[in-house]
This record gives sequence, structure tokens and C-alpha cells, in this order.
Amino acid sequence: MSRLEELKTRIKEALPGLECVIGWQKGYDPLHNTPLFMRTDADVDKLEWGPLNVHNPAVYLPTFTGKKVGVVVKGCDSRSVVELLQENLINRDNVVIFGMPCTGVIDLSKVKARLAGAGVSAGTVTAVTDDGKTVSVTAGGQTTAMPLAEVRADKCGRCQFPNAVLADAYVGDPIAPAAPAAAADADLAALDAMSVPERMAFWRYHMERCIRCYACRNACPMCVCRDHCIAQSREPHWLTQDDTATEKLMFQVVHALHLAGRCTECGECQRACPMDIPVLALKKHLNRTIRDLFDYQAGVDPQAIPPLLQFKLEEDNIKERSW
Amino acid sequence: MRIGVFICHCGSNIEGTVDTATVAKASLDFPEVVYATDTMYACSEPGQDGIIQAIKDKNLTGVVVASCTPRMHEPTFRRAVERAGLNRYMFEMANIREHVSWIGKDREANTNKSVDLVRIAIEKLRRDAPLSPSKFSINKRVMVIGGGVAGIQAALDCADGGLQVVLVERESSIGGKMAKLDKTFPTVDCSSCILGPKMVDVAQHENITLHAYSEVDAIGGYVGNFQVQVKKKATYVDWTLCTGCGACMEKCPSKKNPDRFNEKIGPCTSINIPFPQAIPKKAVIDPTTCRQFVKGKCGVCAKVCPTGAIKYDMADEIVTEDVGAIVAATGYDLFDISKVTEYGGGRYPDVITGLQYERLLSASGPTGGHIKRPSDGKEPKNVVFIQCVGSRDKSLDRPYCSGFCCMYTAKQAILTKDHIPDSQSYVFYMDIRSPGKMYDEFTRRAMEEYGARYIRGRVAMVYPKDGKMIVRGADTLAGTQVEVEADLVVLAAGAEAAVGAPKLAEKLRISYDKYGFFMESHPKLKPVETNTAGVYLAGSCQGPKDIPQSVGQGSAAAAKVLALFSKDMLESDPQISRVDIKRCVGCGKCIITCPFKAIKEVEFRGQKKAEVIETVCQGCGLCTSTCPQGAIQLSHFTDNQILAEVNALCQS
Repeated sequence: MSRLEELKTRIKEALPGLECVIGWQKGYDPLHNTPLFMRTDADVDKLEWGPLNVHNPAVYLPTFTGKKVGVVVKGCDSRSVVELLQENLINRDNVVIFGMPCTGVIDLSKVKARLAGAGVSAGTVTAVTDDGKTVSVTAGGQTTAMPLAEVRADKCGRCQFPNAVLADAYVGDPIAPAAPAAAADADLAALDAMSVPERMAFWRYHMERCIRCYACRNACPMCVCRDHCIAQSREPHWLTQDDTATEKLMFQVVHALHLAGRCTECGECQRACPMDIPVLALKKHLNRTIRDLFDYQAGVDPQAIPPLLQFKLEEDNIKERSW
Repeated sequence: MRIGVFICHCGSNIEGTVDTATVAKASLDFPEVVYATDTMYACSEPGQDGIIQAIKDKNLTGVVVASCTPRMHEPTFRRAVERAGLNRYMFEMANIREHVSWIGKDREANTNKSVDLVRIAIEKLRRDAPLSPSKFSINKRVMVIGGGVAGIQAALDCADGGLQVVLVERESSIGGKMAKLDKTFPTVDCSSCILGPKMVDVAQHENITLHAYSEVDAIGGYVGNFQVQVKKKATYVDWTLCTGCGACMEKCPSKKNPDRFNEKIGPCTSINIPFPQAIPKKAVIDPTTCRQFVKGKCGVCAKVCPTGAIKYDMADEIVTEDVGAIVAATGYDLFDISKVTEYGGGRYPDVITGLQYERLLSASGPTGGHIKRPSDGKEPKNVVFIQCVGSRDKSLDRPYCSGFCCMYTAKQAILTKDHIPDSQSYVFYMDIRSPGKMYDEFTRRAMEEYGARYIRGRVAMVYPKDGKMIVRGADTLAGTQVEVEADLVVLAAGAEAAVGAPKLAEKLRISYDKYGFFMESHPKLKPVETNTAGVYLAGSCQGPKDIPQSVGQGSAAAAKVLALFSKDMLESDPQISRVDIKRCVGCGKCIITCPFKAIKEVEFRGQKKAEVIETVCQGCGLCTSTCPQGAIQLSHFTDNQILAEVNALCQS
């Protein structure tokens, strides 16, 4: 029995006690997988596992408040689940976590660029296969082999959690994390190297391209305010509806600050962005600050209280009294 | 809204470097401002009358005063606008003194900055809403933490004023540091003779409940309604049965334990009553040395106790006391002299602290009031006193003056001569600080009548040689090296915050300085108040103090409590957080960040929501900056108000 079949068996065993189990299925073409909500055994048979499972299913968990659901997770997704647990946004008794070791997911933008380089359109994909190391995409009658290491998502290059950090049912043997790729934090390094005016110009350029669709927010598993988001509120009125780079940057900054010490860098904001704006860099920068100041990583320990969500008279690394 | 703006000269404090008339004129251009003027002293009676008259004449609905810090006069102006019929929260203050005129000399720049600050205040005022306080009842009991002389005075004054008082003392007897002193300056009267009657009064006062050998474990609630959990530490002696006869101490076989009351220069038994005048005079077993606890067998005290009071199986007990106000009087501890290695404190038995010397002088001390040096019990002839050990020393992070050491050193020099007429005292000092009534005369007496030799200079090192302690230092007046062959060296150890003071401050939710001393609300005008309503300070917990100052503060704190309790109902500050239940998603982040536990989770139509407990909320605003969707807003400091202020500043 393959690991995927074993996973399906485990889900089928648990399904009678659950509202549904969230996972992935084949999408509208072989290149795209899409979220799957399994309610019957027939649904479970549609479950997919592989580098096309780009979505973070944890984003749906808070919408099932009060109901018991299952969720299939990659390592990165599991950190979102843990962070939701840490913040009491979901109840541990109401979530069953299924996990398998993950060797990385693709970055669709990179795959599309490869196909374009080979002279074929991503719209003509007829088959996708992978052997764990190489993804082979057949499009326009020709097959292009792409090493996964070259077309995987940036987050997979620095992944230290290939296994679920918390799971009720784990299929397969946990794998060791690879050493972070050399260019794992190239985005931050590039921004660090810029002068302040250059950095401002960088963000101004990207914010002028932003279409204010809020896909970044809606894909974020930690954005639980939903209809009550500060971006649409008049009371308090943090943002106007002006279509200016300033307002759009203000939203991105508010979003990043709300995620400081909570973001697990699942990268969904950036993946969901239809304009390919590198919004994850803002969150990564804040996470780096949080790590330096508080020695803390979000979504690793279900018992830990995120540093910005607690009151401490004096922080260990902020010497307020010796100023 | 019809806004009036008043720009205060504060005499020349503001007008000296700010053109107030120009600021007033510029204010007229801002939205909804219908009246603006400059005024000589806005806080003076004519100044306030001018504001009230303008409100009436111009039908003002909001007022901005640009003057000093709101910590100074905000209440004054709030009352003024209220007298004119406005809600007291339809008022804003711009601080153009501390934030402008006092910190810069450029008149034009100062004037421009003042205009900006006024504009900011106006934008905030435009978004102010009338607020009204709610009332709540108060529990007219008071807790005094610490039974030293300051705490005793506060407790007695409150009790005499008819209040029920709960006095909590960490040691097994009240009395504090003063009970350890032999005599007191500048009168050289017996410390226990003047403290003793007060201690007895505490024991006998029908309004005072004493929890000795107890510590404050946790504090909840707020002014008027605190709940304090007091941990009554296990004494292993049933105090309702113990008569203080001392039979147990006579028979206890474990006799060689360092006596904490005697500053560890004498031994004591494991079951012990610290001193003859102890209140309550009850025995306590130290389980770290008692043979029954250490070896599991002994039981002598249980056999000899005539009332059967010994209870080896006693456990700590928590009692909850509901009180309306708390006086912290936790005192000080001494600087650890072993940190100054060149003086040899802690290494050489004949280098002792001033407080240890008090015990040697005291008739109830380990030597029965005969000065005998610890090493060999001989009477010392040459006694060297070194002042400022752990005071006024930046290198030890103790830059402050401990205040009382100059005086007690002079007293000890006098007493040394009284005890040993053929002795000679030497005092190494930096400066003599004796600013109290009869104090300087007292230090002169030590020098002139008692022949104490005062040497101005620091001691470089102290070392033993042939049964003597050699003290080598500088005489900076003579410009020479000095070497004294001493029989005994007494270090005037400075005062430090009491052990555990910062922890208690955190429980009390009051501030403390970097040395651990509790912060008063205002260094001059509110010396016994704290920034937490209903919590007051007395004595050395706020900073080193001598006995008269501590007693004065004890009485002052009692007066504050009596004034607070003269009302039946208190008003709560309406500048607190409020939850917009429609926006709240029940994530509970505000609940976990609130330092005052002022937010609770409630269920509303099956959904989790946050709710602010009005009387507990202190208006700090942590919750509002934590709430991602802005569902919890601090009244009078809403996000919209702060955004409007930022916009006013950035767009000007």
C-alpha cells in the first residue's frame, strides 16, 4: 500500500466522527491542485499528495468553529495549525491533524516561466508527473523536465519543518530537514542592501501595481478578522479607499505588523498575489526582528505564548531600565 | 463644535521663548475654532474665569488650553470647563512648556511647534465625546504591608481613625529595622523604649488584625475593592496556644544557628522568639536547622511545651483579605558589604556592618550590651568607622546617598566612648550630611565632646595583621596617607531596596526605580501616593529614610487612606477601553495581553466576545494596540483620535 493509500485509509477511519477533512484534489488542469473538503469515502479517494499541493489548508480551520474537522498538512501548514492553537483560535479537541513528510511544493510562477522558456503555454498542460526530485510537465505536446530544487517555492528552500510539527496521524517516516539553500533569504538580503530611498522606491513601484484585491489577506491563515478587517473599517478609520501607493503600502504594513511574531512564513500571501508582489518579505523582516529580540518562532510549540501577545514587565533582551 | 483656544504665557516660562499671541492668532484658522486668545496664567483664578466667561459668551462646546504638562493642571482645567457647564472631557491640553519653551531657545521654531501642538489638540478635541464616570462602593478596610516603624505608624493612625487595619509582617515579630537599633540619634534614647509602646499598641488595638510571619502572595481588584491573598507561612507552632514562655528555646538542642535578628553575629536556637519585646511574642521553628526536620527525630520542644503548641505537620496557609486600600511599608535592606572586597567584609570577622554593631551595643544583643569583637570576644580599643560603603558609589551602581549613615555613625562613635571610655573612634567620611533638626550639632558633639577623629578620605584597603585590622586610607584634607591599627572595623553599609521589593511592586502594579525603590506619584507633591489608585507608600520602601521621616510618611499615608475612605462611593475614570461587540471576533488577544486582568471572555448569542471590567481597567491602551481589527477602543484615546493627531502633524 502506498503512503497516500495508507493516508486515505486513516482518513476514512476518522471520517465518521468529523464534519469534514480538508486536503487537496486535482484541479481544472493537471498543473493545478485545489483544496478538497472530504465528507464521504468517495471524496477521500480524490485526495492528492505531491508538489502541486501548494495551498495551506489551515486557512479554513477558523471557519469551522464549534465543529470537529480534520486537516491534512504539510510541515509548513502544520505550523499554521499550531499557531492557531496557540492563539486559541481553534480548539485542540476539535481538530484532527493528518500529516506526511513533504519534499517541497512547486512555485507556479517558476514553472510557468520554464514553460515559457521552452516556448509552450502553461494553458496547454496535459500531464504532470514527479518522482520526488524532478517534475515533468507535458504541454503543447512536449515534455519539459524541471528539477524540483529549481522550481520549488522559495519557502521550501529554507524549510526546517518537512514533517508536521503536530499530528494525530502521521503516515511515513519523518525526514530530516535539508540545510537551508544558499539563496533562501535572497529577498531579504536584496532589500537589506538597498538604501532607504531605494527601498521606498522598490515598495512604491510594487504598491502602484497592487490592485487592492486583498488576496494576500484572504489566503493568510492568521488573518482571522475577515469581515471586520481594519482595511474596510470606518470606525476606526485606519485606511481610506484611495487608490494610492501610500494607502496600499499602509495596508501591507498593518498586515505585516498584525502578523509580527505570529506569521509562520507559509508564503500564502505572496503565492496568492495575482501581481506577484513580494509581500512575504515584509513579514520575513519582522519575523527576523522577533527572532533576534525574543528568540521565538511562531507555530512550533502549541503551549508557547507569542511574545507580542503577552505582558511582561521587562523583556529579557530589551533593556528598558538601562537606557 | 465651537472650540475656544487659550495660549498660556506661564509668566515668562512660555512667553519667554514662544510668541503666544501668534499661536493664538494661528489657531483661529483651524477647523471649528471660534475663539482664541493668549492669557497670562491660565491656571490662575482670573485665567480660569476667563475660560469660563469665554465658554458662556461664545457658546463654546470644547476647549483647548496650551500650557504646561497635563500632569500638572489637566484636573484644574477639567473642573473649570465643568463649572462652565461643559462635560469635563470636552477639553484638551497642549503641552507647550515642557515640550517646547523649556527645551528650546529659538523663538520662531518654538512658536511654529506650539502651533503644531495646538492643531493636534484641536483635531483630537473634535473627536472627543462627553464621558461620565460611574460610581462604585468601597470596602473601608486597609492593609499595611510591613510592620516596621513606618507601617506601625500607618496602621495605628488608620486604626485610631476608626478603620479596620490588616497588618502583614514578613518576620515573626513587627518592629522592623528600628527594633534592632540600640539607641536613636540625635537624642540617644533607647530605640526599643520608644518603639515598644507602639508595638504593644498594635497588638492591643481592637481595629488591627496582625498577620505576622506572613507574606503577600497575590493581589487582585482595584481601588476600594482589593482582594489580597496573604500567605501565612508555617511556624510549626500553634500561636493560639503559644504563650511565649520560652521554655522551648531553653531546651532546644540546636543552638548554633545564625541569629537573623542579631544580624548573624550571635547564635540562636532552631525554635526561637527573636527578641524579648517581640510582638507577637510567639515561637517559630526554622525547619532548615531543626533536628526534628533535618534528622527526623528530636521532639524536645514538643515535650517541654507546657501548652502543647508544637505542630511539626503545620503547612503554609493562604488567607484572603478584602481591603479598599493598601499601604506599602516594606522598608529596606542593607548593602552586601562583601561586594567591597578591599574592606574584607564577610571575610574578616572583625569587619562588621553598622547594624551588626547596633546589636553588639544593645543590651538585648548577643553580648548583653558589652562591645566584644566577633573574632576573639575582646573589647576593642580602636574602632574605625568607614562611611559610604555602598552609597554614593557609581562603581557599585549605588550612586545615591543612603541619608542616615552619617548620623548613625556619629551616634555609634558616641556610644563607643560611653561603653569604653579609653577607646578611640576614627571615622573615614566623604562629606558629613546632617541636615535635620539638631543633627549637625550631634555630629559636632561626636567630634568635639567624644573625641571621635574624623578623617576626610576614602579607605583603600583593610587587612589583618597581628590580631589587628590595618585600615589604610587617604586623608585628603592633610594630603597624606593614613594607617590606623584597628581592633574593630564598622562599615556604614548603605540602604538598598528590600529583597523582593520589585516582585511586590509588580503585584501592587506600582512602578519602581532601577534600584528597586517604589516610585511615588510625584517626587514633591505626591510623595506617599503611587500611580495606582488606592496604593500608598510609607517609609524606606520609597527611598532611604531615617526614623522621623518614616514615621511622618506613615502618618501621611494614613491621612491619604482616611481621606479616600471619607467617601462612600468612588468614581471610576471613564477613560477606559470599551469593546465594540459587533467588531469583536473573540480571539482573546486582549485578554492575554492585559496587565491588569481587566478583560474577560463573555458569551454573546453563542459567540465568544471580550468584555472590559470597568473598574479594573486602567486605560493603558495595550489591548487597543493588540486588537487586530480595532474592536477594542480606549475612550478619549481612540484610534481615530490618534490618527487625526498624526494627520494633523504630518500634513502641517
